[in-house]
Amino acid sequence: MKKITSLLLIICAVFTLQNCQKVNTPVSLDFDKLPYKNLSEYNFFTGDLKSLSANDRVLLYEPITPLFTDYAKKSRFVWMPEGVTADINEEGIIEYPNGAVLIKNFFYPHDFAKAEKGKDMVETRLLVKNNNEWNAYTYVWNDAETDAKLSKVGDVKAVNWKNEKGKAMSVNYIVPNKNQCKSCHQQNTVLKPIGTKVKNINKTLKYADGTEMNQLEKWMEVGYLQKSEYHKFTAMADWQDENAPLKDRAMAYLEANCGHCHSKGGQARTTGLYLTTDETNPSHLGFCKGPVAAGKGSGGRKVSIHPGEPEKSILLFRMQSNDPGIMMPELGRVTEHKEGVALVEEWIASLEKEDCKQQ
Amino acid sequence: MTLRIITFLLAIFTIIACKQEAETVANEVSTDIYEAIQEKLIDAKAGDIIEIPEGKFLFDRPLSLDGIANVTIKGAGMEKTILSFKDQQAGAEGLKVTADNVTLDGFTIQDTKGDAIKLQDCEGVTIRNVKTTWTNGANPTNGGYGLYPVACRNVLIEHCEASYASDAGIYVGQSTNVKVLKSYAHHNVAGIEIENCKNAIVTKCKAENNSGGILVFDLPDLPAGNGHTCIITDNEIIDNNFKNFSPEGNMVAIVPPGTGLILLAAKNVEVFNNRIKGHKTVGAAIASFHITQRKWKDDNYNPFTHDIYIHDNVLERKGGVAVPDLSKEFGKMISFYCSAKQQDIVYDGITEGEGKNPMNLCIQESKEDLRFTNVDAANDFANVSNDISAYVCSLDGLPEVIFSESEVETKETQTEGK
Repeated sequence: MKKITSLLLIICAVFTLQNCQKVNTPVSLDFDKLPYKNLSEYNFFTGDLKSLSANDRVLLYEPITPLFTDYAKKSRFVWMPEGVTADINEEGIIEYPNGAVLIKNFFYPHDFAKAEKGKDMVETRLLVKNNNEWNAYTYVWNDAETDAKLSKVGDVKAVNWKNEKGKAMSVNYIVPNKNQCKSCHQQNTVLKPIGTKVKNINKTLKYADGTEMNQLEKWMEVGYLQKSEYHKFTAMADWQDENAPLKDRAMAYLEANCGHCHSKGGQARTTGLYLTTDETNPSHLGFCKGPVAAGKGSGGRKVSIHPGEPEKSILLFRMQSNDPGIMMPELGRVTEHKEGVALVEEWIASLEKEDCKQQ
Repeated sequence: MTLRIITFLLAIFTIIACKQEAETVANEVSTDIYEAIQEKLIDAKAGDIIEIPEGKFLFDRPLSLDGIANVTIKGAGMEKTILSFKDQQAGAEGLKVTADNVTLDGFTIQDTKGDAIKLQDCEGVTIRNVKTTWTNGANPTNGGYGLYPVACRNVLIEHCEASYASDAGIYVGQSTNVKVLKSYAHHNVAGIEIENCKNAIVTKCKAENNSGGILVFDLPDLPAGNGHTCIITDNEIIDNNFKNFSPEGNMVAIVPPGTGLILLAAKNVEVFNNRIKGHKTVGAAIASFHITQRKWKDDNYNPFTHDIYIHDNVLERKGGVAVPDLSKEFGKMISFYCSAKQQDIVYDGITEGEGKNPMNLCIQESKEDLRFTNVDAANDFANVSNDISAYVCSLDGLPEVIFSESEVETKETQTEGK
């Protein structure tokens, strides 16, 4: 008799579990109660949270050239409530409706060559638009990786992984605090998303159902984006695409990694150094441009970019440094991005040499 | 019985031992304070006073206040509340403020990896009784700036102290309406620097033992171009003969040790009633941006120094056997073209326009043996001259600096933003 009861219980439990997995409660946010304490409360992902299986209407996206964050892998999603759509403005920036949420997960596969071997979750960042303004919320994953908890002041987490070449890597990954989010995510001192510019997401993506489609077309198909002439905005190069022109790859890399601050509306505008793909003034691009407030960040070099001479270029020196008082970007990395540095170095070396002194 | 006594004594010992240990920790270094203070800064409400108690506290990450107006960060006093960043792991500054009407009062920030205190895009800044320093002395690896408001409006810095910055101790950049009062800058490369600012005054300050005492600069290719209107008065600008330890590339790396005051591409500046004493190279240098031989691509930029009125200062050279600096190009230039003699005032003579004094440089100094040299850099130093007569004239005094709302500028910014 006891045996039968146990068996029944087990059968019940299995059924319940299966039901749980099958019924996806759609995402429904109470914006007055945000931010929630735990990532799971948003219901963006179904089943085991760590699997990051997107709920209905939670749509994967990917930039062409991403920001480097200590080699962390990222998965990004966008969600919007029913009945609202985003629009593309004249500058190719996506203007989101209230209710839009951008979700970015940061994690380290144990083995970068074998992603299926499992991963360590670090943090998940949300950008939420409500009452016409964006808010940034950071969730730090617990040690058991069952959920992530809201963090205001950030955190430091030791992570390690094996890179593509099999080399053991480790860093003290720094989760930014709320204010630090904004120091990058700002245009004219207002918090804004960075990555979802038309020029940086205008590419084909393979979706979970196996279909391949241009991301902007997909957004229009699911009703996240008004029908728009996005083609008029030239897509940025993929920094790793060896078939693309070197200049385009380097500038795409610089825009994705520096342009959020080093642009006319960014926090580093006071330097007059604008590292964006649409900048045409050579001084603003750093060519033969002296630093303004670099301090020891100059490394004894005299100009940001010395055409043809990477070893005389401050920009490269700061990309190579891990000293918090020297390194660029100021936030978001504690290790050198060797591959990014190599690209920018190759590009500067390829430029025609110029005498940076006034004649 | 004996056992009881022993236990009792042991307990007392333990309590005493614990107490001593606890006190030591409280007075010296606490590392847990980062989260406590940063959380208060994030959760602050307008009008809040965030107090940092007496003691020395160690931070591994930077502090920041963003977007919350009317907040005061208050320590127990400049020498009592010390925030040390010597083990900083991240962040380009110690404290960063991007919030309006902020007041910083009564603490020291030391040994940051980058700048000590940076304030950006703030409308209304008061920094009072704040000290910034690097405790290992002059070192090119020190942070660039001590107090660093940039792109701010209505900035008051008073009763502050800044030392050992590898660029400028007190640096106000691209800001409008600036008052630096009763502050002490020493052992920096530049003591006090006003760069690309509009309407500034530096008064009742002491700039001592820096490489250059007080600098008024205007640089090209910046969003806030063509700064103008600056009063330098009632300051002690003394013995700024300290070695220049700024890394090359930085603007101040050109400053020759032994310089009291430099006006570089400065516009509308009045310098009066200062005591400019004890400089081995030059008391006051007046130069165009051309002298730096740097390139720029800024059609709106005016590289010339013009409308300058220097009058009624006490000028005393260092005297004795000291020769002008030879470690920097400009020191060499002065040494070479001024017969290796210390100068009171040097003018680069790079001008634009017609007439004897096209840049409107006026000097009214009563000193009998005033040493003035125009090095004629515009003509490759062809006609170096000590004749000051073309520049003996006077200009109207500048009006006082008034803190005001930013109606016009806000409109401009909004238009740009669209």
